[in-house]
Order: sequence, then structure tokens, then C-alpha cells
Amino acid sequence: MALAGGAMSALTKLRALDSFELVRCVVEEALRDAGIPRGEVRSLAVTPPGLAGHSTAMFVSRLAAYLGLPLRSLACLENGGTSGALALRWAMHEVRSGRCPVAVAAGADQRLDTRAEPGETVEAFIDRNVHTTVAVYGPYDGPYGLGAPIPYYAMSAQRYMAETGATPTDLAWAAVRLREHAQGHERAMFRGRTLTVEEVLASEMVCPPLHLADCSQFVSGAAAVVVVAPEVARALNRPPVWLRGLGEYHHPSSFSAGAVDLASFPSVREAAREAYADAGVGPRDLDVAEVYGVFSSTELILCEDLGLFPRGRSGAAFREGRASRGGEVVVDPSGGRLSLGHPACATPLLETLEVLLQLQGRAGARQVPGARLGLVHAEHGMLNGSMVSIWERDA
Amino acid sequence: MKDLVDGAMARAMEFQADGGSGEFYRRLAEGRFQSTRCLCCGRTAFPPRPFCPGCGAGEVEWADLPRRGRLHAFTQQGRALRFLRPEVLGLVELEGVGLVLSRIDAPFEALSLGQELEVAFLPVGGGVVLHQFRPV
Ligand SMILES: [Zn+2]
Repeated sequence: MALAGGAMSALTKLRALDSFELVRCVVEEALRDAGIPRGEVRSLAVTPPGLAGHSTAMFVSRLAAYLGLPLRSLACLENGGTSGALALRWAMHEVRSGRCPVAVAAGADQRLDTRAEPGETVEAFIDRNVHTTVAVYGPYDGPYGLGAPIPYYAMSAQRYMAETGATPTDLAWAAVRLREHAQGHERAMFRGRTLTVEEVLASEMVCPPLHLADCSQFVSGAAAVVVVAPEVARALNRPPVWLRGLGEYHHPSSFSAGAVDLASFPSVREAAREAYADAGVGPRDLDVAEVYGVFSSTELILCEDLGLFPRGRSGAAFREGRASRGGEVVVDPSGGRLSLGHPACATPLLETLEVLLQLQGRAGARQVPGARLGLVHAEHGMLNGSMVSIWERDA
Repeated sequence: MKDLVDGAMARAMEFQADGGSGEFYRRLAEGRFQSTRCLCCGRTAFPPRPFCPGCGAGEVEWADLPRRGRLHAFTQQGRALRFLRPEVLGLVELEGVGLVLSRIDAPFEALSLGQELEVAFLPVGGGVVLHQFRPV
């Protein structure tokens, strides 16, 4: 099967549109991009519109009614950061089954204002936030006051540095290169704002050793891609981008609970191994890779677990430009999570869209010349589970 | 403010207790740092569960966790919901059990990877007692 087209919304700090309209816009635009009339869509798979906040029960049922689309397949899939990749996986299953020659996968993440809601008392506000903390981080980690996963990733960064000799400067180089990549992306959150290694190291220390500029910014936004059967793909105007390999692995741990290693992730290594074997390619064959690096440290660890650079050498690779245009493989040409922006539920589809654009030669100012083979990585938990897909354009 | 957070946390922990956490915190409040051990394969699990995640057996008993462990990783968060000041969090490696997230009762600057720590108890209000670790 193949990717036929895709689209993304503007990325904004807080929600800019209601969730139905946000998803409708990217679905319609993705179909226009693919050159496929909306009436041909048989399957729609989406993520919940964000992982926190208001109830999203039966979101996709109401969404399909809003769209006015009769469908033979309709699903909402959620598993943290892999949610968008799961929606894509569902679309691919439905195309492969033969029932649905055209399937759309969409993901959206709406960041709510975290202040108290109108009329909410202080007591109710605290109650709501404490319950959310315990719900997300569990009855063992939650009571220690985690409000975000940053401490976990900070400890991962500390272990990575201790075990490999990587330095804060190595981490900073990943952030700096991603910021450079984002300058070529018209919808990147950090377009027009340059970043230097010195500025990363001088930014606020959020959780040592992670500075503010080592962290991605949660934003609102949506993305969608259109998956089609081979006969549909060959009839379209653009060169199709074919699925070549898939890998997925879930380590039985959640955040740090049950974790065996914080400096290298079994889920990434195992999902990558399966995807490379399925595709019959290796990391050296890749032209581009979009990875779910939400922190500069995980960006480096991911590159190593995916086999792009040797253990402990990713920082040097970023510094020397070997992860940018002209290098061995361009990592996150979109600017990545750190500089494109990170609407978590939509992120895997933003990554897939970037690989699609790169492989079709449509990435404009950030185009990787001659890109033919690309990889997409997504994760949930603290990299407890990973999904990897490999895509190739027609020679 | 602190009382409100403490009360909300106690309610949330009770309301969202899993198959082991209610009993875990009840024992912790009595000064017992324990988890579940499989009667079949002998593996001690953390967090505690009413079954063995290793072999799947349904018979487990509560048993003491090691009181000492090594500091596997640590960081500091400046804006914790629970504690209204910078707090050191760490992952403590308990031999034969694995990594346990806890509060580290020492200044960030005084800590180093691999150092030996001992468990202590931390009453936080609302009737809840958490575990924390201190350098030996
Ligand atoms: Zn057992």
C-alpha cells in the first residue's frame, strides 16, 4: 500500500479551532493533496483530540457525523505518543484487507489552558489536577508531584551522559541543528528564531541536566495522511510512497516502573530491528528519518537505538552536520519535536507527512536532494513502546 | 494550599488505588516497606501486584523490600505540584527488585550516581506516608 497525500494544520500554543473543525480541515486538505474525492474515503481512523482535559468519549462517532461521511470503517485509537501511528496502522490494515481502497488517518492534539475553568473553585481546580496527576503517573510516582514527564527524561539524560561520556554540549547540538532544520518549515513553531549552543546552555535549568531549550514545546495542531491500495496509488498524479517495513515492540514497563535501561531503549531497538528486516534495508540506506525525540537527549539516544550513529556518537554527528543536509542521514528535516512543535497525538502523522513530502520531492526549502528511503519512529510512555515504519518512493 | 493538595492527593490515591497500592501505602504508614513476592518463583515485584508479573502465578505474599539501594539516577524539579519547593527525585536500584522512583532527602549537589541510600518514611499530610531515601 502507499501514502497518497497528507496535510497539517497550523501549530498553535493553545487550541485555535474546535476539535471537529480542526480535524475536518486537515482531512479535507489531505484528500485534496492526494487528488482523491472525499466520497471515495471508506475508512477513517483518528486519535483522541489530546491526552488531557475534557471527555473525548465517542469523539470519532461525532466527528464522522460532523463530516457527513458514510464510512465502512471508523475508529479512534489511543496509546500516548504512538496514537497517531496507531491511527495510521489502522488505516493500513483496512487498506490491506481489501475492504477499503482509500483510508484516512488523522491525529489532533488540543492543549487546553491549564488555568482554572470559569466558575471553578480553587478546591475543584486542585482536585482535578491532582486526580489527573495520579491518573497519568500512577499511585506510586504521582504522589511525588510529577506534573510532566520531564524528570524521567532528565534522569534518562543523566544516565546516557554517564554511560557514554556525552556532554551537555552534545545535547545542545541536537537542539541547535533541529532549530536550523525548522527554518525551512513554514509552519514550524520556532521558524525565524535562531538558537546557539551557548543559548541552550544558558536557558533555564528545568530538571538537571535538561535546560528549557533541550525540551520540546507541547502545542495544539493536527495532521492527516491518505493511505491507498496499489491500484489507486498508480492512478494518481504523483509518485506514490510505498510502505516497505513495519516494526513494533512494547516493553512491559511504564515510564520508569519496570524499566531496565534509561540510556538505551529496548522498545526502539526491537521495533527498528523488525522494521529493517521487514523492509530488507539497514540504517545506512536511509536518506531521512523523523524520530519522536521530545528532548535533545532522547533525540541522541533514538539515533543510536535506530542504528543511525554509533553509541555515544550522535552528539558529534549533529555537531559535524552529519544529521543535516549533506550528511549521512537527515534526522528530523521538519525541525523535529523540539523546533517544529509537538502536538503529541498528531506528532507521528506530522512525521509521516514530512517523510511523504521528502520522498515526493515536495519539501521546498528543506528538501533532502534525491531522498528515496525514509523512516518514521513513534513512542509511548518513556519510550516503553515504539513503532517504526519505513517508506520508499518509486525508483 | 498545602492542606488542599494533601487532601486531594489522599483522595486521589484511594480512588485510583490499583491491585496493590492500597495495601502498599497501608503498610508504609505502619513503617513497613514491602511489596509482593511470588510463592512460585520467588520473584519480588515492584509495584506490588496480586499476581506474579514474571511467571503469572496467582499466589503472592507481602515481603520486606531491601532497605538499602543504590542511586541509579536523580534530578530536581523546581515546580512540583506536590511539594512547593525544589525537590530531588531519584530512581533507586533495589537489588533483586529493580528501579523505584522516590524522593531523595538530600541536596541535589551532594548526590552522586551509585551512592548507597537507605529508605526513610515521609508523612505528607492527609494521612498519607510516602517513602524517601537518604544517603547512608
Ligand atoms: Zn513468579
